[in-house]
Amino acid sequence: MLLPRFDFHDPASVQEALDLKKTYRENARILAGGTDLLVHLKKDLVSVEHLISVTKIDELLKIEEKGGDITIGACVTMASLAASGLIGEKLPALKQGAQSLGNHLIRNKATIGGNACNASPAGDTLCALLIYDAAVILQNSEGAREVPVSDFFVGPGKSCINDDELLTGFRIAVPPAGSGADYIQLGKRKSSEINVVNVASYIEIDPANQNILNARIALGSVAPTPIRGAKAEQVLAGKTADDTVFFEAAEAARRDDCKPIDDFRGTAGYRQAMIGVLTRRTLAAALAQAQGK
Amino acid sequence: MKKIISVTINNEIYEIAVEPNQTLADLLRYDLGLTGTKKGCDTGDCGACTVILDGDVVNSCLVLAIQTDGSVVDTIEGLATEEGLHPIQEAFVEKGAIQCGYCSPGMIMSAKNLLDKNTNPTEQEIREGISGNLCRCTGYQKIIEAIDSQKS
Repeated sequence: MLLPRFDFHDPASVQEALDLKKTYRENARILAGGTDLLVHLKKDLVSVEHLISVTKIDELLKIEEKGGDITIGACVTMASLAASGLIGEKLPALKQGAQSLGNHLIRNKATIGGNACNASPAGDTLCALLIYDAAVILQNSEGAREVPVSDFFVGPGKSCINDDELLTGFRIAVPPAGSGADYIQLGKRKSSEINVVNVASYIEIDPANQNILNARIALGSVAPTPIRGAKAEQVLAGKTADDTVFFEAAEAARRDDCKPIDDFRGTAGYRQAMIGVLTRRTLAAALAQAQGK
Repeated sequence: MKKIISVTINNEIYEIAVEPNQTLADLLRYDLGLTGTKKGCDTGDCGACTVILDGDVVNSCLVLAIQTDGSVVDTIEGLATEEGLHPIQEAFVEKGAIQCGYCSPGMIMSAKNLLDKNTNPTEQEIREGISGNLCRCTGYQKIIEAIDSQKS
């Protein structure tokens, strides 16, 4: 398969990349890991005149903890995320997501910024970004803005990023003590596959009485974008964490929150049933973690 | 427009003009004649084009040649020496880990990268280490045995 002809740009700084974006706008595309974009270009699904590679910009490659926040550069690869001690300790569901994506070859190239911009409903790191309530950092030549990740996705393959903007990274508040999170994805195989259904849950409890202080649930592959399980979260609000309330939340996620479709990977009915199962399982695992078990 | 890049392939420095839309796999195979690196799917699914780029295995069909300016690439041709095959290659022969042979170069590069980073992998780690390489003859068990025999 041949790639179409394009001009290649290799800026060394965010400013340089933004200048190129401003010049070429909709005729340019950002190239990060390339594990989706180069495939789409080969299959003629997208067209491009200018490719702007951003993987050599140092500030996009950093994972940092500062002032209660963890910032993750857009070009951090899945392999680096999975290997990061900081991510493993403080954002374990994100580590699980990074580890489940594709296979070891893909994980060495695929980036978290690319996973978000590709905006697949099945994206492996996206449920984790949703439950950790990440802010997406978007820059243009005038400055930066932050968008909650729950507002970032607008449709399959579509995000709210503007033509002149570059996604430079994510900012996530470090989860407090007494919190836990878990991610489970189901596919046809253990690697090199696209999720049939995937769920992440986050829970924060009061250790004195096990009351739920905060709970967030994210559902993948069951709507045009990865979504928050709003009805399920409502069920959990203010309740005491136990199997009964997790079952009720799982029912709400299955019945009210997800809107799956049939496709060649799986049926809507299977996906809907699994949303219930995985919501319950991820909540139970998140609670065990929150309790330090 | 072509650009001249400098890339170290199997310990040899190449200064070569590449098109922006040329993949590393195509550069290796068509410009440099290093046809040991195979192309199966050309979309990052099969792993036949696996090479080691700056110490990590990648699908060379999903890397632009122009992006490898200043990089170090190791391909299957770099493994054997005048003394003979690389021990991992020998192990593949001895254990019958080669059937049609098409996946072997990629499989061996993944195995080499795994063993470079982890000299004593468990069976699970070996399975994960070749999880991006498909063998259509489905001879996985013997491939795993071959890699396992190279633990130290």
